[in-house]
Amino acid sequence: MKNKIAFLTIAISMSSCVMVKEYEKININDPDMTLTKRKSLKFETSFHIYRESAMGANGGKTGGGCGCN
Amino acid sequence: MKNLILYMFFGFSVASISQTKDNKEYKRRVLDNVEIDVLSSFYSQKGKNSAVNGGIGTEELTDIAGSIDILIPMNADDILSIGFTVSAYTSASSSNLNPFKHSTSSTSNTSGASTSTSAETKTVIGTPWLASSGASGQDTWLSCNVSYSHWSDDRNEIYTASFSISDEYDYTSIGFNTGFTKLFNQKNTEIGINLGLFLDKVTPIYPTEIETYRRTEGSLNSSFFANVDILNSEGLETDKNSNTTWVATQYNEITNTNRNTYSVSLSLSQILSKNSQFSIFSDIIMQNGLLSSPMQRVYFEDKDDFYIGNPSNIPNYTNPSNVDVFHLADAVERLPDSRLKTPIGFRYNHYINEFLIFKTYYRYYFDDWGIVSNTLSIELPIKLNDKWTLYPSYRYYNQTKSDYFSAYNKNISTSLYYTSDYDLSEFNSSQYGLGLKYTDIFVEKHIFKALGLKNISLDYSMYKRNIDFNSYIISLGFKFIID
Repeated sequence: MKNKIAFLTIAISMSSCVMVKEYEKININDPDMTLTKRKSLKFETSFHIYRESAMGANGGKTGGGCGCN
Repeated sequence: MKNLILYMFFGFSVASISQTKDNKEYKRRVLDNVEIDVLSSFYSQKGKNSAVNGGIGTEELTDIAGSIDILIPMNADDILSIGFTVSAYTSASSSNLNPFKHSTSSTSNTSGASTSTSAETKTVIGTPWLASSGASGQDTWLSCNVSYSHWSDDRNEIYTASFSISDEYDYTSIGFNTGFTKLFNQKNTEIGINLGLFLDKVTPIYPTEIETYRRTEGSLNSSFFANVDILNSEGLETDKNSNTTWVATQYNEITNTNRNTYSVSLSLSQILSKNSQFSIFSDIIMQNGLLSSPMQRVYFEDKDDFYIGNPSNIPNYTNPSNVDVFHLADAVERLPDSRLKTPIGFRYNHYINEFLIFKTYYRYYFDDWGIVSNTLSIELPIKLNDKWTLYPSYRYYNQTKSDYFSAYNKNISTSLYYTSDYDLSEFNSSQYGLGLKYTDIFVEKHIFKALGLKNISLDYSMYKRNIDFNSYIISLGFKFIID
């Protein structure tokens, strides 16, 4: 699995030789194209952290808080 | 590690202040107006594997939460962010720290024309299947977060430092975060590093029978246990002065109530074309201290079972129809005092056309407690027009069980570590979500004249595990801009 992720990352990185100019980024800059979860889903992420063992790697909080209930 | 994080936290803070100088050249402000995000949510869950009751019983819980986050432009380059969150919950599972209550019954004797009432009998009953009226069944969690971000003049470097504090009845947390982001290749590539430190303090709370046992040093004739019958698995009353009755065979003597979390987060984002971009990020999260929860009961398969309540319902204990007998805990959860978590996440977004965007997320996770997990989610923002966007989504999650997990009454007393918390069990889940957002890019509608409404969002998600657990959450958010 780790090898697959590394391979995928390298493959996509190598294909990224197209330089997109600032004035060409109108679609990239669309508010729904952000590489994070939507802010309105903040509490949904909280319950995932409380109820599931996996956490992190989502650009959010990685610690603190109990969530033991 | 702790010193390194604190050093970077203060180092970046100083760097961001020292770089705040008058710049006569024109540059666009990082943030033009004060922005205010107000978010509220209602969460509800149901399940049959309560951790407080040793892996059996109701998991019913509701939570109402609200937050306000304010972004304030301090100058052209800097943003101050202040956030407050309040979360109030009621939990049937937590309420069953003390599941016991007195039940009074009276019997009457009828002889001929006269009826005489015999003395009332008081018995103690309990059940893992209903909420108790105990104070532990509800609590409020409060949190405050302050963050300061600084952009370099060319907007290719971002420094961030933040501080957070949160508190609830039995838990306090203080957090520090500091981060650095560098953009290059004409802002086509972005790398980031973030260091986090959380210093948490736990106030241990034990289930009633364990707490009483600890306090009375094993006496079953005083305090809570006075005049209470302890039954064996056949429903027969045991002699509380003999060695054939219940004893708390193991329970944690907690000396360290600290829980510290150290994290290093790395990220790489890359624009692939005019319509697509991806990011890959990984955290290394190290936790140490009290990682178990002493409020969670454990039952051992190799120990005799003892109960309080109605003997006729003992064979029916694991059935929700049991309303009056409770299994006395053998021990409370015991887990290692360190844990290393490693998640690796990947996002890929593709702008298909002006109506549709394709957003994906995948995460691979493993830790040194034996849990391996995969998370996959897909969201398809559909732009209905220039004001309304629909967000259908699907999320799949799975995890293997922790090395220390066993089901209700299946742990072994000779194990060093044990838990029946089903959040550490093997399961998979599916979540279906639907969101709707109204956006007014011209901010035409105002409240109190100066408060412009930028958007409103409404989200609903339904979550279901392949074991007995399901939940849903509704979130309502508003974004305002101060002119």
